[in-house]
Amino acid sequence: MSVALREGVSEEVRATADRMAVFLSRFIRDGELVFHGVASPLPMAAIVMARNTHAPNLTYLNIPGGVDPKPPYLPGSTVARQLMEGALSYFTLTEIFDLSARGKLDLAFLGGAQIDARGDMNLSFIGDPAAPKVRLPGGAGSAHILPTAGRTVLWRTAHDARSFPERCDFVTASGNVEAVVTPLCIFEKADGRLRVNSIHQGVTPDALRAATGFDLGDLEHTPATPEPTPAERTALEAADPEGIRLREFV
Amino acid sequence: MSGKIISLTQAAALVQDGDLLALGGNALTRIPAAFVRELARQRRENLCLVKTAGAYDVDLLCAAGAVAQTQTGYVGFENLFGLAPSYRRGVEEGRVQAVEHACSTVIAGLRASAYGLPSQPVAGLEGSDVAAHTGFRQVKDPYTGEPVYMVPGIRPKFAVLHVAYADAEGNARIEGGAFEDVLMSRAAESVILTAEHIEETAFFVEKPDRTAIPAFMVQAVVHAPGGARPGGCHPFYDIDEDAVGAYLDSASSAESLQTHLDSWVERDHAGSAAASGSVA
Repeated sequence: MSVALREGVSEEVRATADRMAVFLSRFIRDGELVFHGVASPLPMAAIVMARNTHAPNLTYLNIPGGVDPKPPYLPGSTVARQLMEGALSYFTLTEIFDLSARGKLDLAFLGGAQIDARGDMNLSFIGDPAAPKVRLPGGAGSAHILPTAGRTVLWRTAHDARSFPERCDFVTASGNVEAVVTPLCIFEKADGRLRVNSIHQGVTPDALRAATGFDLGDLEHTPATPEPTPAERTALEAADPEGIRLREFV
Repeated sequence: MSGKIISLTQAAALVQDGDLLALGGNALTRIPAAFVRELARQRRENLCLVKTAGAYDVDLLCAAGAVAQTQTGYVGFENLFGLAPSYRRGVEEGRVQAVEHACSTVIAGLRASAYGLPSQPVAGLEGSDVAAHTGFRQVKDPYTGEPVYMVPGIRPKFAVLHVAYADAEGNARIEGGAFEDVLMSRAAESVILTAEHIEETAFFVEKPDRTAIPAFMVQAVVHAPGGARPGGCHPFYDIDEDAVGAYLDSASSAESLQTHLDSWVERDHAGSAAASGSVA
């Protein structure tokens, strides 16, 4: 499968996947309790990678319930049984929600089909919720986790004006969003609004503006996102040699 | 050895049109797949399904026209195959009512029933449209005055759970992640088990703390080896992506869905056929 995956994607897509995994991992601080949910290959790779780089003392929580698993390989489904393997204890999703409600979950990664200027996200409906044009999968745990976790980092693998509108069609979840990682930039939330923290190498401010449905303000002095270092690339490849992170792009 | 063991056909026939079912497992892991295929073959209608994260099970029943309502936090095929096409079409065409939940509110509703309460306070949801859209009401905590959302109890007629091991009386051991299965068993009026292996009772006496579902909660046991396929079941088999893809190719029409259901008949009933000798 990994061979087919790698052959099926362009160098550009591979570079984007690697960047996004590395940039997500940089938000993890050593010693934190970190969670990802369903449909989350990029955060899964980011967490496993961070454990071998700058955050060796993180605690990795997931839906199957394995605490700090050592999966033999990263599974294509991020609730698959491999995330129990090598774990020393068992902590269920129900307990993770309770942990977050008690204010003890440090960091969670959550995806959104739409992410708006306020950092709110939509995984529920496109169009009128009463007669939706698109029924999306639903937000899984996000409505609970966003307001209760210490910090959340969102990601989306497509950056276009429909995905990043001024306001979501439906707010599935809102809350303690620290940052949003996209293929073009990193947003940080400040004073209730997303602002561009850094723009990835090779992306022009005009291209970023054209791909974003809300006003980005002055980008003249916005720095470039530091590219993944050789050490980060090596750690990512070691964490995900099969390239499961690419599944978010195919 | 017979005890509560019945055939897959008989077990699916316990479910009536309109019943609320909690389906065990999560996404494509340890799902009661053989059981939902049999519900589709028996043309059950107007079912209401509750689950935190569904995929093949919820989508197949939507494709079969068996679903009136879902109460879920997520329905999709993750990054393997994306959106759930039949669920999506059913909701967009107004045939399936999708009651929008967070996974935590599904859990809260099940907890209410498990605790013997009409509703359950739940944390989170601030700033989300989910509470207003679904109708979760906010009350003031009587002691602190703090606002808190209340989720109404969810009481399934059956929790349908696929487990690694069961005995003939319904004692069951789950291997790997249990997800919400244990809670579902406590919240539901009754439990139907499908099991990879039927074990002697002595197997459970050895480690009673590993028996997640005690027999007294269970109405029926089906021997269904491979019963989670094309999903995975620890420690026996992994998700079969090719077979999931084949299902998605077949879900577009009634004819091809029937072909899909037919292609699984023999495997789905193999355990029942083997057991019928000892039952008779």
